[in-house]
Amino acid sequence: MKETIGIFGMTCMHCHKRVTDAISKVNGVKSVEVSLENKSATVEFDDSVTNLNAIKQAVTDAGYDAGEKTISKSEPVAQQSVQVCPVVIEDDKKTVEKPVTKQKSGASTTITLKISGMTCAACAQNIEKVTRKLNGVISSTVNVSIEKASITYDPSLVTQKDIENAIVGIGYGVVKDKITFDIGGMTCGACAANIEKVLKKHKGVESVAVNFSLAKAHVEYDTTLVSVADMISAIEGIGYTASRKVDKKESEDRERKAREDEIKKQRINLIIAVVLGIPISFGDMASAFPNFLGFVPSFLTNDKVLFILTTIVMLFPGRQFFVGTYKGLKHGVTDMNLLIATGTGSAYIVSVAATFLDLGPGYDMTYYDTAALLIAFIVLGRYLEATTKGKTSEAIRKLMGLQAKTARIIVDGVEKEVPVEDVAVGDIVVMRPGEKLPVDGVVTEGLSAVDESMITGESIPVEKNPGDTVIGSTINKSGSFRFRATKVGSDTALAQIIELVENAQTSKAPIQKIADVVAGHFILAVHVISLLAFFFWFFIGFEMFGVGGSEMFAGISPFLFALLISITVLVISCPCAVGLATPAAIMVGTGKGAENGILIKGGESLEMAHKINTIVFDKTGTLTRGEPQLTDVIQTAKHPEEEVLRMAAIAEKGSEHPLGEAIVKGAAARNIEVPDAGSFKAIPGHGVEAGFSGKRILLGTRKLMADNGIDVTHLNASMEKMENEGKTAMLIGVDKEAIGIVAVADTLKEHSKEAVDRLHKMGIEVVMITGDNKRTASAIAKQVGIDRVLAEVLPEDKANEIKKLQAEGKIVAMVGDGINDAPALTQSDVGIAMGAGTDVAMESAGIVLIKNNLLDVVASIRLSKLTMNKIKQNLFWAFGYNTIGIPIAAGVLYPFVHTILVTPALAAAFMALSSLSVTGNTLLMKRSRIK
Amino acid sequence: MKSKTGMYSLIASIVSSIVIVAVFFALALLKNSSMAIPLYTNVDIMAGMIFVFILSMIVSASIWPGIIEKRLK
Repeated sequence: MKETIGIFGMTCMHCHKRVTDAISKVNGVKSVEVSLENKSATVEFDDSVTNLNAIKQAVTDAGYDAGEKTISKSEPVAQQSVQVCPVVIEDDKKTVEKPVTKQKSGASTTITLKISGMTCAACAQNIEKVTRKLNGVISSTVNVSIEKASITYDPSLVTQKDIENAIVGIGYGVVKDKITFDIGGMTCGACAANIEKVLKKHKGVESVAVNFSLAKAHVEYDTTLVSVADMISAIEGIGYTASRKVDKKESEDRERKAREDEIKKQRINLIIAVVLGIPISFGDMASAFPNFLGFVPSFLTNDKVLFILTTIVMLFPGRQFFVGTYKGLKHGVTDMNLLIATGTGSAYIVSVAATFLDLGPGYDMTYYDTAALLIAFIVLGRYLEATTKGKTSEAIRKLMGLQAKTARIIVDGVEKEVPVEDVAVGDIVVMRPGEKLPVDGVVTEGLSAVDESMITGESIPVEKNPGDTVIGSTINKSGSFRFRATKVGSDTALAQIIELVENAQTSKAPIQKIADVVAGHFILAVHVISLLAFFFWFFIGFEMFGVGGSEMFAGISPFLFALLISITVLVISCPCAVGLATPAAIMVGTGKGAENGILIKGGESLEMAHKINTIVFDKTGTLTRGEPQLTDVIQTAKHPEEEVLRMAAIAEKGSEHPLGEAIVKGAAARNIEVPDAGSFKAIPGHGVEAGFSGKRILLGTRKLMADNGIDVTHLNASMEKMENEGKTAMLIGVDKEAIGIVAVADTLKEHSKEAVDRLHKMGIEVVMITGDNKRTASAIAKQVGIDRVLAEVLPEDKANEIKKLQAEGKIVAMVGDGINDAPALTQSDVGIAMGAGTDVAMESAGIVLIKNNLLDVVASIRLSKLTMNKIKQNLFWAFGYNTIGIPIAAGVLYPFVHTILVTPALAAAFMALSSLSVTGNTLLMKRSRIK
Repeated sequence: MKSKTGMYSLIASIVSSIVIVAVFFALALLKNSSMAIPLYTNVDIMAGMIFVFILSMIVSASIWPGIIEKRLK
C-alpha cells in the first residue's frame, strides 16, 4: 500500500532526514519519500504488518506532526516562518552562542565566517560539532540568526581552509565576500595576469579572476583580512584603474561609451599611421628599389623629411605603447606594450642616429619604414580588436535589452508612469495588453495571458489569475491586470539570470590555467629569446652565414642585422592570442547557453560537461511531470468508460488527495460533468466511500472491495497489468457491483524519451534514480528507455549512489529538481538542475535549464563540446603561431634561404592577425547549432 | 619590506645587466682582436651595449623581485 501523509514542522534537511529515518524504522515500511517542499511523506508499506497510524505515531515520536492529507504547495508561507524546528539538540552541554574552549597549543587566531544553508539551531550545532573536532580549533560559536560562525584556532595546527572544508563537507556553505571591479587600462592578457598576481599577494584574497575581454576583476576575499580600498590601491599601484562595479545599466552605458571611445581613438590613430606610414615606406625603400619606386617624389627620400613624418607617427599613434610601457615598468610589470615599444623604439633610434650622426660604414640605412609600419599594423590590430571585443559579450546585452524601461504604478490612487528603477517592493503595477512587465510580482486583480517565452521558453502564453506569480520582462498579451511587485532591481528573475551569466563569463575553466601560466611568463621569455638571438647573430651568425656579403644585406653592420632579428622576435610574439583563447570561448559559450535557456554557472561546469559518460536522472519532477495524472479507465460490459470515470470522479470530488484530484481533473479534461456527492468518507489506507443519488460508490483497493463483498475477479487481469506498469489502479464499486478501474500514474514529460535516446546515441550511459519501489521505477524506466535503475534510494543516499558510480571510474552528471537532489547535484561532476525546480537544487547545480526541457541536457553537452573544441583550436593556433613564428623571426631559416623571411613590419602584421584570428574563430561559435 | 625588495631588485637588475653588458663588450673585443680586420666598429659595440643593457634590464627586472622577495621572507 502506498499513502501520502502530511508532515508538519519540518524546516530543514535535518528534519527531512529525521522524518525519513523515523518512518523507515517502522516494521513493514518498504519505502518512504519525504518532501520538505510539499511537507509530505509518501510511504509504501505492507498493510498486513503495519498501518498508517503506526507510521504517524513514528512521525509524532520524532517530534513532528502527521496529518491526514498532503499539504499543497500553495499553503501560505507565513505558516512556515512561525514554525520552530523541533529537532532536539542532543548535545546540551553548550548553547549555540556559548563558545567552546579547548586547551591552547600556541598563538590563536579568530575568524568570522559567513555561513549559508543553516535553517535551525541544529544546523548551528552541527557546524560547531564538526569544527570543534578539528585539531587546533579552540572555540567555535555559531549564530544561526546572523548566519555567522566565530572560530578561534591555532594556525600552526589547522588552517582556515581546513575549517571551511569541514563546514562545506557537512553540507553548508561558507560565503565569501565577493566584489567585481571595473578595470581600466588593460591592453592584453598579460595585464590581466599582472592584476591577478598583485591581488593574490594580499592575505585574505581567496580567488581572483580577471577577464581581459570584459575588463572586470572578480574577487573572493575575506573582509577581516583585506579591504576593498586595499585591493583598489594595489591595482592602481601597478598602473591600472579600478572601481567598484556600478549598477548594471549604468555600467553597461559606461562600458559602451568606453568601447566607442576606444574604437574612435584607434580609428584616428590608424588613419594617421596609414596616411603617414605609406609615404614613409615608399620614401625609405625608394633608394633600395629605384626601378620599382621611381614614381616616389624625391623629397620623400630625404631622411630628415622621413624623420619628421615618423616622429609624428611615434608621437601620436605610437605614444600609447610608450606610455603603457612606462606605467608598467614604474610598477615592475611588463605587458604587450613593452614588446612593441622596444621594437619600434629601437628601429626609430637607430634611424635617427643614422640620419643625424656619421656612424660610419654600415650605418647609412634608416629604418623609419619599419617603425612606422610596425605601429600602423599594431594599431590596425588594436582597432579591429576594439570593434570585435564587444561582440563576445553580446549575450549579456541581449538579456539586458529584455528589461522594461518604465512602469505604471499606483501612487495615491492615481496611475503614474515611473522609471523601472523607481518601482519598490509592494507597489501595485498596472499592466495593459502588449506591455512588458517591469518587475516580478503577484497578480492582485484582473486576468490575462502572459508570454513568458523569453524567460521560460514556453511558447504558449500562460494564463494569469489573481494569486499567480508574474515575471519581469515578460509580455502581457491579452487582458489588463494589476500586480504587486515582489522582486525589483537586482532581485528579479532576469537580473539573477544576468548575474549568473556574467559570473560564469568572469570565471575560469581549468584549462585556462595552462594559458595563464604561459601568458604570465610569455613576455619575459620573449625578451630572453630576443636577447639570445641578438647575441647569436652579432657574434656567430653574422660571420658564419656571411650576412654582410649577401645580396640583400650587403654592407649592413652586424649590430643592425642582429637588431633587426631581435626586433622581429619581439614584435612577432603575441601573448594576446594565448590570453584570449580561453576566456573569449567561455564568454561566447556561456552567452550562447543563456540565449538557449541554459545557464552555465562557471567555466568548470562547461569544461566538465563534455567529459561526462554517465547521466543520472532523478525520476519525479525531472523525467516525469511530478504529479499523478489519469492514465487509464477500464470499462466493463454494462458500464461504459464515461460512466466509470464519472462515478470515480464523483467519489473523489470531495477529496484533496493527489490521486483523487488527478481523477477529477481527468474527468474534467474529458468534459464529463461531475456532480457533488451526497456524502463522502475517506477510508484510510483503502480508498473512499461516497453516496450519490441513493447509490453507494466505493473507490479503492481490492481489500476495500472484498470487505464490502464485491467480486472483482473479472477485473483482476487488468488490475495486475496496470500495477505492473507502475500505475496506481483503483477499483470502482457501485452498490454491490465492480463497474471498472481507473488508474493514475506520474507521466513522462514530453521530451524525456527523446532526450534519453539522444544521450544513448552520444554513447552516454543513462541511469534513473528514485525513492520509488522497483516495480514503479522499472515501469517508468522501460517507457523512457533507461536500462539501469537505482530504485528505493533514500534521499540522503542519492549522493552516495553518485559516489559509487564515480568510484567505478565514471564521470557523472546528475539531473534533478528537488531539495532532496541537492546533495547528489553537488556530489556529481556536473549538477544539472531544472529551472522549475527548487532554489536549493538550482544553487547546488552547475548548470540550470531554464526551459525545463530535458533536451537541453543534450544541448548542454553539445555546447560544452563546442566550447572546448573552440578553446582547443584557439590554444592550438595561439601556441602554434608563437611556436612557429618566433623561431622564424629569430632567423632559424636564414642558413637555408639566405634572407630573413619576416621583416619587423610583416611580423607586426602577423601579430595583429594572430589575436584577430583567435577572436574571429571564437565568434564562429555563434553560427553553430547546439539543438 | 616592499621598499627594500624594490631597492634590492633595482640594484640586482643593474648589476646583472652590467655583467651581461661587460660579457658582451669582452666578447666583442675578443672577437675583434682575433681577426685581421676588426668585424665590429666602435658604433656596433657601443650600440650593441646599449641594446643589450636595455633588454637585460627588462629581463632581470622581471626575475629579481620574485627571488629577492623569497629570500627576504
